[in-house]
Amino acid sequence: MAELLVIAAQRQGELRPSTLEAIAAANGIRQPGDTLAVAIVAADPQSLVGALSVDGVDEVIAVKATDDFQPDLTEAVILALAAARKPAVIAAAHGVDAWSFVPAAAVKLGCGLATDVQALRREDGELVATRAGYAEKVLVDLDFPGKSTVLLTIRTNVFEPAAGTGAPRVTEMAAPAADVATTHQGWKPPADAGGIDIPGSEFILSIGRGVGDESNVEQFLELAEEMGATLGCSRPIADNGWLPKARQVGQSGQLAASCRLYVAMGVSGSVQHQWGMKHVETIVAVNTDPEASIFSIARYGIVGDMFEIAEELKGHF
Amino acid sequence: MANTGSAYDILFTPIKIGPKTLKNRFYQVPHCIGAGTNYPGFQMAHRGLKAEGGWGAINTEQCSIHPECDDSLRITARIWDEGDMRNLRPMVDHIHQHGALAGCELFYGGPHAPGLETRTISRGPNQYNSDFATVPGCPGFTYNHMADEDEIDRLQQHYVNAALRARDTGYDIVDVYGAHAYGPMQWLNPYYNTRTDKYGGSFENRARFWIETLERIRKAVGNDVALVTRCSIDTLYGDAGVEVGEDGLKFIELASPYLDMWNVNIGDITEWGEDAGPSRFYRIGHQNEWIRHIKQATNKPVVAVGRYYDPEKMLEVINTGVVDIIGAARPSIADPFMPNKIREGRFEDIRTCIGCNVCISRWEMGGVPFICTQNATAGEEYRRGWHPEKFEPAKSDKDVLVVGAGPAGSECARVLMERGYTVHLVDARDKIGGYVNDVATLPGLGEWGYHRDYREIQLNKLVKKNKQSQIALGQKRMTADDVLNYGAARVVIATGAHWSPIGLNHRTQKPIPGADASLPHVLTPEQVFEGKKPVGKRVMIINYDPYYMAPSLAEKFARAGHEVTIASVGGVGAYMEYTLEGPNTHRMLHELDITILGETGCSRIEPGRVELFSIYGEGSKRQYKGSGQLPRKENDSHHWHECDTVILITSRRSNDSLFRELKARKSEWAKNGIDNVFVIGDAEAPRIIADATFDGHRLAREIEDESPQHQKPFKREQKVWGVAYNPGENPELEWRL
Amino acid sequence: MKILVAVKQVAFLDDEFEMRDDGRDVDADFFEKDLNEFDHFSVEEAMLIKEAAGDAAEVVIAIIGDEDADDALRTALAKGADRGIRVWDEALADADGVAVARVLAKVVEREKPDMVFTGAQSADFGSAVTGMALAGLLGWPHTAVVCNLDYAPGAGTATIRRELEGGLEEIMTIRCPAVLSIQLGINQPRYASLRGIKQAKQKPVDELSLDDLGLSAAEVVPAARVRRMYAPERGKAELITGSAAEQAARLAEIIKELRGM
Repeated sequence: MAELLVIAAQRQGELRPSTLEAIAAANGIRQPGDTLAVAIVAADPQSLVGALSVDGVDEVIAVKATDDFQPDLTEAVILALAAARKPAVIAAAHGVDAWSFVPAAAVKLGCGLATDVQALRREDGELVATRAGYAEKVLVDLDFPGKSTVLLTIRTNVFEPAAGTGAPRVTEMAAPAADVATTHQGWKPPADAGGIDIPGSEFILSIGRGVGDESNVEQFLELAEEMGATLGCSRPIADNGWLPKARQVGQSGQLAASCRLYVAMGVSGSVQHQWGMKHVETIVAVNTDPEASIFSIARYGIVGDMFEIAEELKGHF
Repeated sequence: MANTGSAYDILFTPIKIGPKTLKNRFYQVPHCIGAGTNYPGFQMAHRGLKAEGGWGAINTEQCSIHPECDDSLRITARIWDEGDMRNLRPMVDHIHQHGALAGCELFYGGPHAPGLETRTISRGPNQYNSDFATVPGCPGFTYNHMADEDEIDRLQQHYVNAALRARDTGYDIVDVYGAHAYGPMQWLNPYYNTRTDKYGGSFENRARFWIETLERIRKAVGNDVALVTRCSIDTLYGDAGVEVGEDGLKFIELASPYLDMWNVNIGDITEWGEDAGPSRFYRIGHQNEWIRHIKQATNKPVVAVGRYYDPEKMLEVINTGVVDIIGAARPSIADPFMPNKIREGRFEDIRTCIGCNVCISRWEMGGVPFICTQNATAGEEYRRGWHPEKFEPAKSDKDVLVVGAGPAGSECARVLMERGYTVHLVDARDKIGGYVNDVATLPGLGEWGYHRDYREIQLNKLVKKNKQSQIALGQKRMTADDVLNYGAARVVIATGAHWSPIGLNHRTQKPIPGADASLPHVLTPEQVFEGKKPVGKRVMIINYDPYYMAPSLAEKFARAGHEVTIASVGGVGAYMEYTLEGPNTHRMLHELDITILGETGCSRIEPGRVELFSIYGEGSKRQYKGSGQLPRKENDSHHWHECDTVILITSRRSNDSLFRELKARKSEWAKNGIDNVFVIGDAEAPRIIADATFDGHRLAREIEDESPQHQKPFKREQKVWGVAYNPGENPELEWRL
Repeated sequence: MKILVAVKQVAFLDDEFEMRDDGRDVDADFFEKDLNEFDHFSVEEAMLIKEAAGDAAEVVIAIIGDEDADDALRTALAKGADRGIRVWDEALADADGVAVARVLAKVVEREKPDMVFTGAQSADFGSAVTGMALAGLLGWPHTAVVCNLDYAPGAGTATIRRELEGGLEEIMTIRCPAVLSIQLGINQPRYASLRGIKQAKQKPVDELSLDDLGLSAAEVVPAARVRRMYAPERGKAELITGSAAEQAARLAEIIKELRGM
């Protein structure tokens, strides 16, 4: 019987959706008799209980403090809960907030630590966390010998967010005393939202030489928008000036750093292009040439005409 | 090499061509280089290097079979006599050293070879004058003589004798050249052949000369050599010529039994840019709509070209049965080591042909030694001893600052790093490539960006090898103080050039009055690339430049909906006649309704209008009128032409202020640890990309030589006085009295 | 006034690589090492402060690593930092961010800087641990992923912006001395000149052992142990067949599935 603790994240009073992924990850390693508690620090934590009442959550620990993110306060909450409850696992989403407080809390606790975890399981009862290494070229299985508590941050967009409706017990917890060194002063909204952001895009529709002519490009811009993808392209398309350089994926262009789904249409898959996208988890290649090298790195392949596929795709979104 | 389990194995699987075995599928088709038999060292080293680089077979350029075929002023090979055989033999031996096959292309040009040196008249099926500019700019200049049956027999014997000399020189392959409207093609092609005897009329009759020639050669050489013919399977003028679906395929079927392999392409000589397609108009594999039918008509191996630089495409055309063997001319020049690089999986190291056809331009303009934009060592193998993949190790530990990462600077930095020098390459742009970054955005010139990409990839690899080296992009422009304080022992200034913003031009060597690119309605090409100034509906291009900038910008603006006029002192894109981009460029200008005012200069620019004049508007009669007076009547052709935006394509000027200031402060070099400051590329003098690249390469090779700013003498190949070319000849002057 | 910048030498893998015999790391022969990209920005940020202070500030670079790591250290020094500290001990061979932070904490105690910068993460493992763990050990104010910094040398507070998801930034003040992890793009890192590179070779570097810092091997154990390391499996493309309509329908299904639509 052990306690699993998830540290929820909120921003401006709204729950960060990745919290539900962290809950799902914790739930996935739950053993019979384990309990799962979620702690939320906010100005009005009660207002977030509903959003946290998902499958698997036994308890919500409501810490009434402030909506401002204060790493010192969050660490104090973790330290207090750890002292009181001796949780086996403390998990948080691998968001920017967690970057500030998780490592500091971990050294104060002297616990095990793994960040940006993309898979969790038990091997012979031992907790094993998987994360990537060497710029995503390898996977690393980590364990935590001798650690009674392990702090984990969970990579976003990997675990299916916890859903359903639960009826967790709500425990109110007074904000612990903390020497808070930061003071919120305001927000700066993102720059031009219409900007093209290949490195930041999770879903990219990319077109290559197969598009043939500049006049054919527009329909793929439309398709990308309909599907909610960012339109990318291979070098010849940018070199021809048919699309701005900011959309070019590859060695002389952009790295699709955050991409998880890459649909390549009419892209043959030159080495230079692959540099920018071959790491992507799910690559779908559409090409008339069955020998195109793009198929060797793709998860799914369609040997066919990109225009026909594009036309048919439109009906689905 | 086959069966390593790689997808590319098929490219390294040997194939029989008659009595010979080609060790892989890389075949350098015949192509001119400007060496011929005049420069045997050049010929040997350039072709031999390709054997070293992995090509399975390497051919000569067109090799004249007899003095009746004299291609002067263009320099091509000849196999007329023992002297020629001696001069070709080093090429053969060099190729054989690397296990490749050597081929000789038997060339009889008919009236497409002007005979300017020998003053002979060629023989053909009929009398006609060449549609090709045998003398550059002068199509229709050269005539032939209609052969009767005696002459036909004699001509065929020329082929046989040349084939025997080729065999005895050591060639493994003899290729009867019938592409590009040469030799036997003039007999097959009804465009030329209107005879009514057994050599004209029906397909069989028109094919007779070619078939008989092949039969006679085969009889003479037997299986000593592989017999190949290079054939244009479609001359691209419909039923007026050879069409693939008609005579083309029929001929393949008819002639196959006499041959060991086919070497096929499309087009003729007058527009051979349809074969050696410039990237502006044609992509990789562009001939395949025609070529893909050939294998249906023959069981002999087929080689064809299509600017194959991409191993994926090579696999595709072999695996889908378009060809058996990858033919290449230009890609083999840009990268003589392409086969080895593919075999070793080093695709990113391939120096990809950009399809600019500057190599070809040198033959077209009259046969000076060829050059390559991508490969600065092309043509320099023998005379300067430059190997494209191997470099003399650094002779000192003096580090180098290169200011400017354009064609000259990036090539100089690359070669210096290859040699082992510590190099810092600095540029204001965010990307290596300098001017090429702009040029590659012009319509159709995207593949020119391969020039930049090769250097970018190589430099990025090289800086990883030497942590002391560095590429610093997006930097503020360096001042002389920055350079002096940089701490480099040697400084190379490669800051490029700019188009004159005031209309400086070669006809007056002065600005055009009113030309001022600081005004809103006047733009230089750089300002067009920047895209910051608005461009009005009516665009007037004032063109004093002979190359691509005017037609390219005209195309760009016409496609964007502007009304474009080019006022041009010379032919628009005149140099593009030499790069074979000319005909389709003119078609494109016509299609886009671009107005061309020829022989037109510009005398004044005002908002909303330009004053133009005919450059021949002065009187033709010269007369001395005294000091201060023109010796002709005043040009009376000036007239105003309305427009909204003026684009000045006049002269270029070096960006040399940094270099000049550093030279002026030479006294400060020593205390800052600077040994020397050099200026290269356009910063020294504006030139084409190929020559800027060469200059950067040259300095990097010669940086330890005496006075590296100035070119080191090269090895010259000239006939040596007092030595006979052929055995038994007397080299002394002998009057025939 | 002193700023300590902790940097890392990161390792990239060649296109093809092999694992070490024990299966817990990649064979070192396949490493290509370089200064962590993020550290170019943290060093630059320190240099900007130093220059704004009329060079009255000292910038000290600290690195944990064997002799190999000297390259990365000298790269940082070549940009104008004043001196370096390199700590190494065989016991640090398996060090993670937490173990490195324990060493750095001792370095900070010794150097007493007014400000500590690290990169927001390392380009090879991206754990984003070292800087904030160091702050935790020191009990110093700290914030990660700083994309803008307004700090007058010696001031009691600094104004920072931290970069959040989706491009949103939060403006906050933070008490100093602090540990800040610096995000890419906060500035435009300078390149070293050849003179800078030559001078860096002459700059003082303290080479310290765990002993010198009063640490034992037992105090620098990592917070996790590598059980195994392996290359992720990549198969051949699964071909979607059928008519164009059928292929597109399946593709739409895949997209919706992965996008949670």
